[in-house]
Amino acid sequence: MVVFFRAGSELRHRLKPDVDDYTRRVETTPGKSVREILKDLGLDPALIAFLYVEGKVRTLDYVPAEGQSITLQPPVSGG
Amino acid sequence: MALNDKEKERYRRQLNVPLWNQDKLRSASVFVAGVGGLGGTSSLYLALAGIGRIRVADRDRVDPSNLNRQVLFTEESLGRLKVEEAGRRLREANPLISVETFAEVIDRTSIGRLAKGSALIVDGLDNVQTRFILNEHSVKESIPYLYGAVHGWQGMVGLFNPPHTACLACLLPQAQTPGPEIPVFGCLPGTIGLLQATEAVKFLMGVGRTLEGRLLIYDSRDLTFDLVEVAKNAACPVCSRPQK
Repeated sequence: MVVFFRAGSELRHRLKPDVDDYTRRVETTPGKSVREILKDLGLDPALIAFLYVEGKVRTLDYVPAEGQSITLQPPVSGG
Repeated sequence: MALNDKEKERYRRQLNVPLWNQDKLRSASVFVAGVGGLGGTSSLYLALAGIGRIRVADRDRVDPSNLNRQVLFTEESLGRLKVEEAGRRLREANPLISVETFAEVIDRTSIGRLAKGSALIVDGLDNVQTRFILNEHSVKESIPYLYGAVHGWQGMVGLFNPPHTACLACLLPQAQTPGPEIPVFGCLPGTIGLLQATEAVKFLMGVGRTLEGRLLIYDSRDLTFDLVEVAKNAACPVCSRPQK
């Protein structure tokens, strides 16, 4: 199945977007969590402060459905 | 107490805004933690709006690298304590309000005294560790916490109001530390600080829908705004524990 990862801020270059400037199309196996998919992509889940799907904050254990867009948020802590 | 003539004249353009309640702002007290990029902007607009009592705390002195974004300071401010400069600027901006300044570290021993009597904690910090201290105090004392943060091209703002909503630790179960110097596009703390001031005024007046339980994520590089719900985490290391 296909899901889409979006990355904000400093995570973009690590995600290697291929759909637009901040989105990557990912083929994965149904039932895998975001954490597992990130590992398959070679992305360290520790880089993610939080993530959100369809307007709701989710954890790395979230299991996405076909076609969903998952936005990965790195730490934002300046002022 | 009715507004006096000076107040009526100063606030004339906002008094006629639908649902505006200047009395509530005048009687409100807020604590602004940090007066750099975020806190400098939010505290300035809170002062201009007529928040009756503003307490600001920051231990730092003004550094040249602050001047790309910290609007309360100028070249003449360099080397001076931020709270002294900020206090002077805020009192000049609105002499009808009370501004109290504290040149000290915000930590677990000082936060109770610094935020005492405040209806709202406004985040003007530059590090996540002290934000966790604000959040713990917010949860412990049930004082709403208006979170803000920036990094690079991106910023975010949210209103945590435990026990009614999630707290910061529901969103970020553990502090993650970026590099030693966080890159910041100078406009961003202004944008986020203004959004914080806007939400603070609305919250204090009880007007409109605030960001309670939600987070607004702004990416200036692509001009996107994402609004997301932050649910309470039943296993939150801070707010799921019994308080007091």
